[in-house]
Amino acid sequence: MMFILNRRSFLRGSTALGSTAMLGGTVLGGTALVATASRVQAAETLTLYNGQHRATTEAIVAAFTKATGIEVTMRNAESPELSAQIAEEGANSPADLFFSEQSPPIAALQEKGLLGKIDDATLKMIPAKYSAKDGTWIGASVRTRVITYNKKLVKEADLPKSIMDFGTAALDGKFAYVKGDGFQEQIMAIVHIKGRDAALAWLKGLKQYGRSYNGNRIASTAVLNGEIAMALSNNYYWYSLAREKGEAGLDAALYSFPGDDAGNIFNVSAAGMLKSSKKQATAQKFLAFLVSKPGQEAMVDTTAEYPVVDGIVSPFKLPSLATFKAPVTPADMGSAAEAYALEREAGLI
Amino acid sequence: MRWSAKRALFDPSALNHPKAFGGGRYGVPPLWLVLLSLIPFGLVALPVGYVGMRTYAAGSSGILRDLVRPYTLNLLVNTLTLSVSVTVCAGIIATAAAWCTERCDLPGRRWWRLATALPLAVPAYVSSYAWSSLGPQFQEMGGAILILTFYSVPLIYLPVSAALRSLDPNFEDVARSLGLGRWRSFGRVVLPQIAPALSGSALLVSAHMLAEFGALSFLRVETFTTAIYDQYANEFNNDAAALLSGVLMLICLPVAFIEAALRGRRRFARISRGSARKPTPIALGRLMPPVVLGFVALAILGFGVPLVTLCFWVWEGTSTGQGIGRVVPALLTSLGYALPGAVLTTLLAVPLVIATTHFRGRLVTLSDRLPYLVHGLPGIVVALAAVSVAIRYAPLFYQTTGLVMLVYAVLFLPLAQSAVRASAELVPRELGEVARSLGKSPFKAFLLATLPNLAPGIGAALALVALQLMRELTATLLLAPAGVVTLATEFWSYTSDRAYGAAAPFAAALVLISGVPVYIFTIRTLRVADEP
Repeated sequence: MMFILNRRSFLRGSTALGSTAMLGGTVLGGTALVATASRVQAAETLTLYNGQHRATTEAIVAAFTKATGIEVTMRNAESPELSAQIAEEGANSPADLFFSEQSPPIAALQEKGLLGKIDDATLKMIPAKYSAKDGTWIGASVRTRVITYNKKLVKEADLPKSIMDFGTAALDGKFAYVKGDGFQEQIMAIVHIKGRDAALAWLKGLKQYGRSYNGNRIASTAVLNGEIAMALSNNYYWYSLAREKGEAGLDAALYSFPGDDAGNIFNVSAAGMLKSSKKQATAQKFLAFLVSKPGQEAMVDTTAEYPVVDGIVSPFKLPSLATFKAPVTPADMGSAAEAYALEREAGLI
Repeated sequence: MRWSAKRALFDPSALNHPKAFGGGRYGVPPLWLVLLSLIPFGLVALPVGYVGMRTYAAGSSGILRDLVRPYTLNLLVNTLTLSVSVTVCAGIIATAAAWCTERCDLPGRRWWRLATALPLAVPAYVSSYAWSSLGPQFQEMGGAILILTFYSVPLIYLPVSAALRSLDPNFEDVARSLGLGRWRSFGRVVLPQIAPALSGSALLVSAHMLAEFGALSFLRVETFTTAIYDQYANEFNNDAAALLSGVLMLICLPVAFIEAALRGRRRFARISRGSARKPTPIALGRLMPPVVLGFVALAILGFGVPLVTLCFWVWEGTSTGQGIGRVVPALLTSLGYALPGAVLTTLLAVPLVIATTHFRGRLVTLSDRLPYLVHGLPGIVVALAAVSVAIRYAPLFYQTTGLVMLVYAVLFLPLAQSAVRASAELVPRELGEVARSLGKSPFKAFLLATLPNLAPGIGAALALVALQLMRELTATLLLAPAGVVTLATEFWSYTSDRAYGAAAPFAAALVLISGVPVYIFTIRTLRVADEP
């Protein structure tokens, strides 16, 4: 590109850059080989593909290793990416475990027959509504669907009384929605309670009157900044925002619908074991630990999500789960193919 | 087309006429060159084959019905609007800026050059986040075009200003003396000579815009690429996502080949460069204040806004300081991946470029164009293609550093190709022929006569590719050995947990380290050019 450069000095520079780079490559390559070798030797090392918040999983893994001496190697990425990766890897997957931020990515692997059955003893530790019907994945934490709203733009008393109001002209241009992370669960709940036609009409209304955002984090930031009055979201996005910015001066707040509205639902983060794993017994130990008291304590300490077992206290000020019902459990949803079909019919995707 | 001296004066491309230098037709490339070009060709063909097979696996049932919907049409319109607008806007701004810094009597040119090139040091997702937090008006298509235009300007500015600087002003003088005005002599004499630099970098930008994801995830603009990520996120259907990727490649296809056709058989090398005098700077006069203001705006918008945002994160965030001990190790790992990756990518690009600039052949043209198609694919698609192939055919190689390097090369070959091509086009192929006539083998002739002349292009390629590799996220996350931590992965990890204060130092380190190659290149070119 720069053809006017002094050629000699440039050659010298490029050669130096080149040899440093080659050296770096050799060293890294060597490390990789050593890493591969040690992976084969140590029987008590698990490979975990992690899509849940990294800090949360790191805390759980640290507690697990301390309790059992079993090492866990984590690969972090977005849950859907990891789900697609495991689907490509098939029976050769190096992963023993998958921890997904939402249930649909892991349910997609369940439908492809890639997950192994979890021990009954582990499944019995949590309520049945939090795990897969065939026992191939377990919920590890619970979160609620909520409305994040800006206190300066809308008074709490004036907030909509039902999730169904969001598909109507009354809320034109006043709310944000995100087509992912809990949205499918919301659609399925409406299908279950109000019927398919109502859900389709609701989605069409959403498309007409709402503003679509490419991510939950950016949508809740828009509410915080007063760019839009409300957003349909999961509870923990607000808590992470409050933790970073300080709760005191925050203009954004959370709201749940009164009574047993179709908008008051929960969803779970979920974990499972790969059928192809050669360390099934060890992987079962990790899953059991995940829903045990120490595992759940490590979980609730780092993220504003509800535990899946009783008797664990969250340091976050979470409202009671009593008004949140389970018209459809995460297990009923599966990978939410029907929600996807409806979104398509409504022209949302 | 008949060769005439008059025509050559008005249209330097007439110099390409075979008779201009008494040269013959372009020959067929030697076997070793074809074989070396086949390595990158084979690598790049893998994701193309993967997309093809997945699309086929999706079955014919409902595939077309799936595509022909208002939603897809909307995506198509958005994708094209974004890609074309950004390319055109950045092309105009970059050419104007290059003209001002190279040909006008702008005071303090070295600083304006630096100011125009610096936004290259800021990753698109950082500047996008900064801009989107300024207000909703920046989150729509207009904002996306604005943000990505500022991001893309340096990618076009650097090659175009380098080309402008190497022009012999005599051509222009002759055109002016024959009665052409300044604008017309620019259009007929200067533009054709900077066209390869301009069209090559514009192609790069437009392909890059097709695949852009990180920046758009903060905005409210949906393109094919965001829809592909949605498909993975909601439908968990790798086949359907591949189908959309196939459409993306079809969009990129005409762009890539039109650029090659535009370049055509033009010849830009001169046997003897003669001794071009320094062009007399054009007096800006009354235009000076607006031009200076324009450069200030460019620097503030492209570099200042993102930097201030990072400072704000550090100041406001409660997570500030978390993970600070990981900044230096992450920086070293980033360099440890980016530098060898850049060397490999450049090594693979050189034979491709030589085969197409100095020779002709269908296979080499195809292998030269294919990387641009893949450059227009989202990173996740290329990464999954690598997963699919490696796990089946090279399981021991899976999730090793070597595999990541190969995927890096597949993703960023075109950057290296464009940079090396800029140099290669100035090297007369006769140089190799002379070496041959002195009894050297074709390969030795290449090593001794052609390769040393490519050094500036190779240096630029290394810098550009290393710059992009340090920001690469998806392939690194999915394919690097477990536990590898780079600046980009840390930034992603903290921002996805909204720990912006903790994320800021990693972004700042990324900007600082990226600033080094940008600074060196800009300063060096200018020192040489400004020497009396």
